[in-house]
Amino acid sequence: MKNTNFIQRSIIGALSFLRDSIFSQEQAMRPGFLQSLDPRIKLITFLVFIVQVLFARSLWELSFFYSLCLILAVFSKIKLGFFLLRTWIFIPLFSLFIAVPAILSFFSPGEVLFSRNILGLEFMVTRQGVDSALFFVLRVASSVSFAVLLSITTRHFELLRVLRVFKIPQIFVMTLGTSYRYVYLFVEMTRNTYLAIKSRVGILAHYKSGQNIVAWNIACLWSRSVHLNEEVYKAMLSRGYQGEALAWVDFKIRTRDFFWLLGVVLLGMTNLVIRS
Amino acid sequence: MDNMIFELKNVYFSYLGKFPALNGIDIKIQKGQKISIVGANGSGKSSFLQILDGLIFADSGSVNFYGRELNEKNFNDDKFCRSFRQKVGFVFQNPDVQLFCPTVQEDIVFGPLHLGVEKKLIERRLERLVSILGLQGLLDRIPHQLSIGEKRKVAIASTLIIEPEILILDEPTAGLDPLTTRHIIDLLIDTGASGKTIITATHDLHIVEEISDIVYVFGCEKKIASFGKASCILNDMELLKANNLLHIHSHRHKDTVHVHSHRPSGQGGASSIGLDTHIDHH
Ligand SMILES: Nc1ncnc2c1ncn2[C@@H]1O[C@H](COP(=O)(O)OP(=O)(O)OP(=O)(O)O)[C@@H](O)[C@H]1O
Ligand SMILES: [Mg+2]
Repeated sequence: MKNTNFIQRSIIGALSFLRDSIFSQEQAMRPGFLQSLDPRIKLITFLVFIVQVLFARSLWELSFFYSLCLILAVFSKIKLGFFLLRTWIFIPLFSLFIAVPAILSFFSPGEVLFSRNILGLEFMVTRQGVDSALFFVLRVASSVSFAVLLSITTRHFELLRVLRVFKIPQIFVMTLGTSYRYVYLFVEMTRNTYLAIKSRVGILAHYKSGQNIVAWNIACLWSRSVHLNEEVYKAMLSRGYQGEALAWVDFKIRTRDFFWLLGVVLLGMTNLVIRS
Repeated sequence: MDNMIFELKNVYFSYLGKFPALNGIDIKIQKGQKISIVGANGSGKSSFLQILDGLIFADSGSVNFYGRELNEKNFNDDKFCRSFRQKVGFVFQNPDVQLFCPTVQEDIVFGPLHLGVEKKLIERRLERLVSILGLQGLLDRIPHQLSIGEKRKVAIASTLIIEPEILILDEPTAGLDPLTTRHIIDLLIDTGASGKTIITATHDLHIVEEISDIVYVFGCEKKIASFGKASCILNDMELLKANNLLHIHSHRHKDTVHVHSHRPSGQGGASSIGLDTHIDHH
């Protein structure tokens, strides 16, 4: 009993969290620094940051960019806790598989920090191994953080429009927008269905029938979200949508954008000078 | 002939070729008419309205709009499509479907923006609608976090802002409190008074007489069972009962059992042996 309740609460909680963190536009509507930049400039400068992170050669360089990212988040009125939680949820997925084996000595031979004997196999952790794992994790963390920061401080419609500005074909942008909506609806309906089942049968009934419900769910949910999505598309057509999304507020480059761009370019050049 | 807006001849429609939704609809809708469509759940009202709005297309039969056939080919013509969308506005039954923008304001201006209306003009219309519908505090909110009634008001605003000649509404008052229902009906009456054509599907027989002169009753066979002046149809108890639009129930007042037949308007009702007809104000 306690157990099922706990599982249910975590499922619903996880879905709400997923919805709020991936799809919430609230962060993008706060009056912060990044939110006020022109989305085109923002996209370019963030790409510049990510490229520098990907080509970084020292831990110092990476730490600098990671701190920069966190500072930008703070200036954009993003709650640091929310931001860290959100980025670090993705990071282990990316890094663990690659970083963990690298710590161990068969992959990175070098100075032994400590060793353990597990099941007759000797695992040694080496300094070089730790360094390269740290380096790797920090690199993933910084680039994921920049990508996440860009996406939460820019509204979904604007992001799609920017892609159009950069001449990404309409069909691609439309597909991207549509898939985004599909996933959103899917998450939302999974959540609602769980709530509905809970209200109808109290708790998720028996373990066995609970499983049946889950199986039914997934097949049924998908077709429901497809259906809803078609309806939404009809609603867009009905109000004159002809394939090209327009935004109410036009993009405008202001002095603030200009100085930001200048700052980023200078920083990139300094970085190049230091490295050579 | 110029006044003929929609002309449907023997229209059949089914979903995925196996779930029939319309079985032979013939209807003529003229400019300035106020029409109500009533019928039980699943009688095809929404499907019919979507055919009128060119969102789905008849399997057989013909649908004409000002003498031009509504089919996929004609909608591929951008010019026709745009002028049609400008002329015909549609409020969906499910407001969750109709609202898809990140903020209420963007949702409301979506239509005119995509139809190429000048921004200044859109702003003026927006201001007017916001004050009529009392949406002041909602403009920066996220549409899917509103209450059902608020969503419906936003959905209606997002259609009215297009200023269409022909307004199609699918259950505009479902889920609204009495005062908001009143506001919306008044808004529809005003809109109607300015010569617009209004087509409304509804279950709410109380509003039918106010917002329409002609009523079409969709039957369970998914075609038109009857039509006529609002006052005639609303008094035809047999017809209404046969189409699930009326229900009789009994309950106890003190010590007499009353049998109420829920019906839309109060004129004339048998009140012999404790059997009387009540107006039912929900
Ligand atoms: N997307 C769909 N797929 C399959 N069948 C559908 C679909 N939408 C509607 N139908 C079927 O078509 C018929 C007419 O549905 P429609 O939605 O037009 O009825 P309605 O009169 O608007 O009902 P309500 O009063 O409940 O809104 C129903 O029998 C319904 O089951
Ligand atoms: Mg309907």
